[in-house]
Formats: sequence, structure tokens, C-alpha cells
Amino acid sequence: MASRQGQAQGGQPGQIEITSLPVPQLQELKTQLDAELTHLSNSFTSLRTAQSKFRDCLTSIALGLSASTAQKPLLVPLTSSLYVPGRLTDHEHVLVDVGTGFFVEKDIPGARDFYERKVKDLGESLKDLESVVQGKAQNVRVVEEVIRLKVMNAQEGKGEGQGS
Amino acid sequence: MGDLQKKLQELSDSYQGLQGELGIAVEARQRLESQQQENTTVKKEFDLLDDDANIYKQIGPVLLKQDKTEAVMSVNGRLEFIEKQMWVEINWHGGSCV
Repeated sequence: MASRQGQAQGGQPGQIEITSLPVPQLQELKTQLDAELTHLSNSFTSLRTAQSKFRDCLTSIALGLSASTAQKPLLVPLTSSLYVPGRLTDHEHVLVDVGTGFFVEKDIPGARDFYERKVKDLGESLKDLESVVQGKAQNVRVVEEVIRLKVMNAQEGKGEGQGS
Repeated sequence: MGDLQKKLQELSDSYQGLQGELGIAVEARQRLESQQQENTTVKKEFDLLDDDANIYKQIGPVLLKQDKTEAVMSVNGRLEFIEKQMWVEINWHGGSCV
């Protein structure tokens, strides 16, 4: 643990500090880095999903709300298996979920602007997260390489010992 | 020799205890951070609204119309509460970890 903390204080996973670690600790480090990588990748996927949901909202506003659909009869779900016929009362305004249980009435350009902003913000977070994931993946590769070298050296040393 | 063993055991136990507390504190902090983030987003959204825009609060399956000032006040109140919670967590767990 102390060697790992020393590594964290060193800033980058310096080659010097890693190669001084014994193999079991290196493997533990690799497991920890792998777990972090999995967690980060999951977050990345969730952000992607959220972003695509907002994009869907944009498309449904664009397609569904126009002067023509306002007169067409619709089927509105009351439960997942019960629909009632209805009609769009207002095709100029929509209720947008802004979070923590609040809904805001907006007109169509405002709602479109809101969703586009959300998509943009998520896009930026995704980019940041992607660079962090790549950095971690790099760390994992470095640690794996060092483990492989150590194991090879250990085997060579054993082989020489048995040979002589 | 047995004395050293005992000391080692005690230290290792307290270390594990501290690690557990650290885990709990980190979890709480993450939860609070995400709530704070969400409420900040809502607050920003409200700031962009006109005063006459309609705001609805979701209570169960129903949306209730709310005054903009009321909604802004409740979101601000929630943000302050979350901040206070964070300071409590930091002081309590930070103190015991250090």
C-alpha cells in the first residue's frame, strides 16, 4: 500500500517506482486499475445513453409537433397496456423535465435549444471522460508490461540456477 | 514477540476500520455531489426563464403548477442543505481519518 501511495505522489506511474515493486503487489495494482477502468467505461456508456435519449427528444419534437399532427387523433398511454384516444391540445408548447422533479413549460424553439444544450454538455463530458479512460488504459498496459518482464526475469533466474 | 504481534493486530484492525469509514465517506460525498450537480442545473435553467413561465413540480403521478419564486426558493434551499451535509461529512470523517 505504501509503495502504491508513493507511486501516486510521484505523479506519473514512473518506471522507476513500478519496477521496484514485487510481482504480487504489481498484480494487485493491475487489478485495481482494471476495476477503475471498468467503472469509468460504464460511466462512459451511461453518458452516451443519456445523450442519445436527449437526441431522441430533439427528433420527436421535430417530427411529432407540427400543425398537421395537432388535429390527428392520438392514443395516449395510461399504463403500459392501456391507451386512450386523445388529441394534442397545444402544438406550440411542451413540458420539459429539467431534473429533481421539476417540469418547465417551454415553446418549441426553447425546448429545442434546451435539449441541444444538454447534448452539447454531455458531449463535452464524454470527451473529458474518454481522455481519462485512455490514460488509465495506458497505465494498465504499462503495469502489465512490467509484470511480464519481472516474471520472465524470475524464470530466467530460476533456469540459470538449475542449469549451473 | 507476542506483544509485537498484538500491536500489529491492533494497528491493522484500526487501519481496516479507517478504510471502511473512508469508503462510506466517499460514497456519501459522491451521492451529495451528484445531487448538488442536478440541483445546480435546475437552478441555471430557472435563471434562464421569464417570471411568467409555467413551472410544474412532480408529486407522485401528478404535476402541480408552482410559482417561479417558490420553485427557485425550494431549489436554493435544497442546494444549501446539500452543502451543509457535505461540510458535516468532511469534518466528521476527515477528522477521524486524519
